[in-house]
Amino acid sequence: MNNVHQIPTRLLHILLVLALTVFGGFPIYWMATTALSLNSELYNSGQVPWPQLANLPSMIAELAQLPLMRWLMNTSIVAVGTTVLSLVLGALAGYSLSRFKFHGKGILGFLMFMTQVVPEALILVPLYAMFITLGLLNSLFGLVLANVGFSLPVAAFIIKGAIDAVPYEIEESAVIDNCPRISVLTMIILPIIAPSMAAAAVISFFAGWNEYLFAATFLMDRDLWPASVGLASFVGQYETPLSAVMAAALIFSLPAVVFFLLIQRKIVAGITAGAVKG
Amino acid sequence: MPQITMKGVSKNFGDVTVIPQFDASIDDGEFLVLLGPSGCGKSTLLRMIAGLTGITSGTLGFDGEDVNEWTPSRRGVAFVFQSYALYPHMTVRENIAFPLLMDAFRKWHHIPLVSSVMRWKLMRRPDIVERTNQIAEQLELTPLMNRRPASLSGGQRQRVALARSLVRDPSLYLLDEPLSNLDAKLRTQMRSEISTLHQRVRKTFVYVTHDQVEAMTMATKIIVMNRGEIQQIGTPDEIYEHPANTFVARFVGAPPMNLLPVRQQGQQLTLEAGATFTHPGQLPADKELILGLRPERLRLQPAEQPGIPVEVSVVEKLGAEVILGCRVLHPGGGQSGDLLRQDLVFVRISGNPHVAIGTRASLGYDAAGVNWYSPQTGKALHPAAAPLLSCSA
Amino acid sequence: MTEQTLLERPLAVPAYSARTSTARRRLNGLLPYAFVIPPALYLLVFMFWPLGKQIYLSLTRTRLANPNRSTFIGLRNYERLLDNPDFYTTLKITLIYSVMAVIVGVAVGLVAALALNRPFPGRTLVRGILLFGWAVPNVAAALVWLWIFNERSGILNTIVTGLGLERVSWLTSTEMALPSILLVTVWQVSPFVMLVMLAALQSVPEEVKEAAVVDGADKLNVFKSVTLPHILPTLQLVSLLVMVWSIRRFDIIYLLTGGGPVGSTSTLIVKLRQVAFENHDLGLSSAYGVVGLMLALSVAAIHALFNHRRQKMSSR
Repeated sequence: MNNVHQIPTRLLHILLVLALTVFGGFPIYWMATTALSLNSELYNSGQVPWPQLANLPSMIAELAQLPLMRWLMNTSIVAVGTTVLSLVLGALAGYSLSRFKFHGKGILGFLMFMTQVVPEALILVPLYAMFITLGLLNSLFGLVLANVGFSLPVAAFIIKGAIDAVPYEIEESAVIDNCPRISVLTMIILPIIAPSMAAAAVISFFAGWNEYLFAATFLMDRDLWPASVGLASFVGQYETPLSAVMAAALIFSLPAVVFFLLIQRKIVAGITAGAVKG
Repeated sequence: MPQITMKGVSKNFGDVTVIPQFDASIDDGEFLVLLGPSGCGKSTLLRMIAGLTGITSGTLGFDGEDVNEWTPSRRGVAFVFQSYALYPHMTVRENIAFPLLMDAFRKWHHIPLVSSVMRWKLMRRPDIVERTNQIAEQLELTPLMNRRPASLSGGQRQRVALARSLVRDPSLYLLDEPLSNLDAKLRTQMRSEISTLHQRVRKTFVYVTHDQVEAMTMATKIIVMNRGEIQQIGTPDEIYEHPANTFVARFVGAPPMNLLPVRQQGQQLTLEAGATFTHPGQLPADKELILGLRPERLRLQPAEQPGIPVEVSVVEKLGAEVILGCRVLHPGGGQSGDLLRQDLVFVRISGNPHVAIGTRASLGYDAAGVNWYSPQTGKALHPAAAPLLSCSA
Repeated sequence: MTEQTLLERPLAVPAYSARTSTARRRLNGLLPYAFVIPPALYLLVFMFWPLGKQIYLSLTRTRLANPNRSTFIGLRNYERLLDNPDFYTTLKITLIYSVMAVIVGVAVGLVAALALNRPFPGRTLVRGILLFGWAVPNVAAALVWLWIFNERSGILNTIVTGLGLERVSWLTSTEMALPSILLVTVWQVSPFVMLVMLAALQSVPEEVKEAAVVDGADKLNVFKSVTLPHILPTLQLVSLLVMVWSIRRFDIIYLLTGGGPVGSTSTLIVKLRQVAFENHDLGLSSAYGVVGLMLALSVAAIHALFNHRRQKMSSR
């Protein structure tokens, strides 16, 4: 009787997993399929619903028409800058929140939580005005400064959580060994929590990598465009070189997908921890 | 090398007083053990000497100089933590060399990134290399130099922690329950290694433990603490033979000292159970007394001889000795009411004689091995003529 | 006695927090600020000063052409909002969008987590594929979904016409635009829900489940009486996150529809940009944004309240 009962449940389970996989994976599959199609097929004769590897050379040729390398270079600069600044400031904030008692600790925690609620668009105009004054408009560095406000708190929460798990005694031991607090942080604590630092780095990196709104607003110069702005510039245009755009989008997505899949658990822990603290 | 003095040292955490007032001094070269149950404030005291915990009031002096506000590093102490607190990301070599590197660092070397470069450079400086190797050799760590703490056994980690504290040649060693994470056999071995180390370096050791065996075997001086207060200061012998109060009497020694409440009438002592026996020596003046007898001070005699009438109810054979748990008998011959083990009178007999459970006997003792306590205060009392052998600070 | 035991190793009260009165201690007392001030200052300058400025802007009449010349007009922009039927439409769309994103996104994520919580061959692969929507950058996601939704040559309409039905204007009709955007949102959000819920499900104590089975509970009962209570706090937390993210979401809506057609997908934040850059009215635009922020904050506050109550109850 048990078996009779189980077969429909198992079938249901398989169908469910299948449906979810199609829903979750189809857009990426379609991205690849479109990239490996000819534009004539896409707009006229109808798309072939599987990837045609034979079209790879023509796709590469079309891709060469796009300034993808420059876009990705700009994106990388922004992402690296965002990562470095987020980690440095996040380490200071995370260490303070974990180890120190100070006036305004609660306020700092609340402000950091707030950043996760504030929409980017809400501070866009004042930031724009401020960047005009500071001469940071149309500069990748300015873009980094804008991005870090959102990625720093997440990095700080991840780092704080990791430092909470390091025993005080290791730090006290270093203090007795004549090690000042800054070196306790840089030479003892940060190497110990290296895996969490890596997770914070990945999150900050892809916050900078994926960012669109600030980049689209603050960068006028086409040469400074990161890939997000470059790719988005095709939205709403007629006669888009669609297969090349899809190929570029795929290349642009690939690093994010790989790294997010690698450290998915850490990211989830970091984001939820930040939300719980607030 | 400092003489350490503590004058009226106290510690509060918020509203909770951990140490109300502490006065003691530690001489140069001493192996002082702070002994007490967990929660008695002994670790807090050690951390205050190290400078890891602030002093609420009172004065901590090194050679008479007030060091209350000195940073831990300025005090020139070594601290061995219960958890060893090794740096998990460094090799054994780097762990041992770390205090030397920190001493060699100038202020600006601590700038991030510069510190990494300097560490790399200093790890190759000949004198540091030599000193590190020398200490490692002393503690037989040479083959482990490139391993990380995670791959070491408990005893090896313990030795790395000791090596790291030795390397700077400090004048004061502070050890916080360093053996409590080791298994029994290793603990015995490390106990003698630490004792040997103390004799070789001839520096002051302050050692915190709740294990009275560690205290008895290693200390030159013991401070017994309870609830933040000193119960007794003395040599291991003094503490063992003449506990200053009932707390020390019960805390030191396994099994603990037998404490029997008695009433005196001349030379006659009456136990709570009603049994009466004659004390073979002098007595303090008080009517109500507690008679304190170490288990090895008691003799098992045939029942008809004078002494405390008992029935053997527990026999623990330990090989070299036998511990008997005896129940005091009523004058009528029945057992005293309670069946709790703590009411047992313990007797330690060396050798391996056969004693059957249920044997009725009389416990004899010599007057010289007796300690007297007041039932009201718990403090030691002395027969009129006897000299004061121990006193609390 | 127990209190003393806890305090004997005062790890939670390190040396630098001790209260003493000398200059050295005071210097030590300043050390935390050397660590805190750089990140705090950064957030103040690049996050909270602009935020404050924006909130102030909502109390002024300011044009985009001259953002530094503004006249203080008090709450007049908010009065204008309340008089404007557009505002109510926007608010309604924001609420529908974010509530639906929570309901559908969390439901799909939870179902996916339950489906992945029992072993089957290829589970790791499926799990990876299900995470795509979360990992793909917004711009790339927008591009491929735009193509999928394409009215003339998109795969969805190819299927629809293949079934003999009329073409659907997925993103360009007022009825379909919001559901289409919700579909993309669910694709992006449900993987995160799945990850979090999967972690929660794996922490359900196996013994309790077995005990319930021994007591004669069937699978549904075990889920209702053991699993669900255990994962409920996590479910609530993740719902909060999805809600807040939906209120502040900009990129994907802006890139897919730009808020159109005729404002049918215009949430408060999309409207904020439109009013600022198309109507050049910074004051009114800020008012839209502030309402959005308040909405997100009140959701967070409700969550905090629930959390507080639950903690109080469980500590009783």
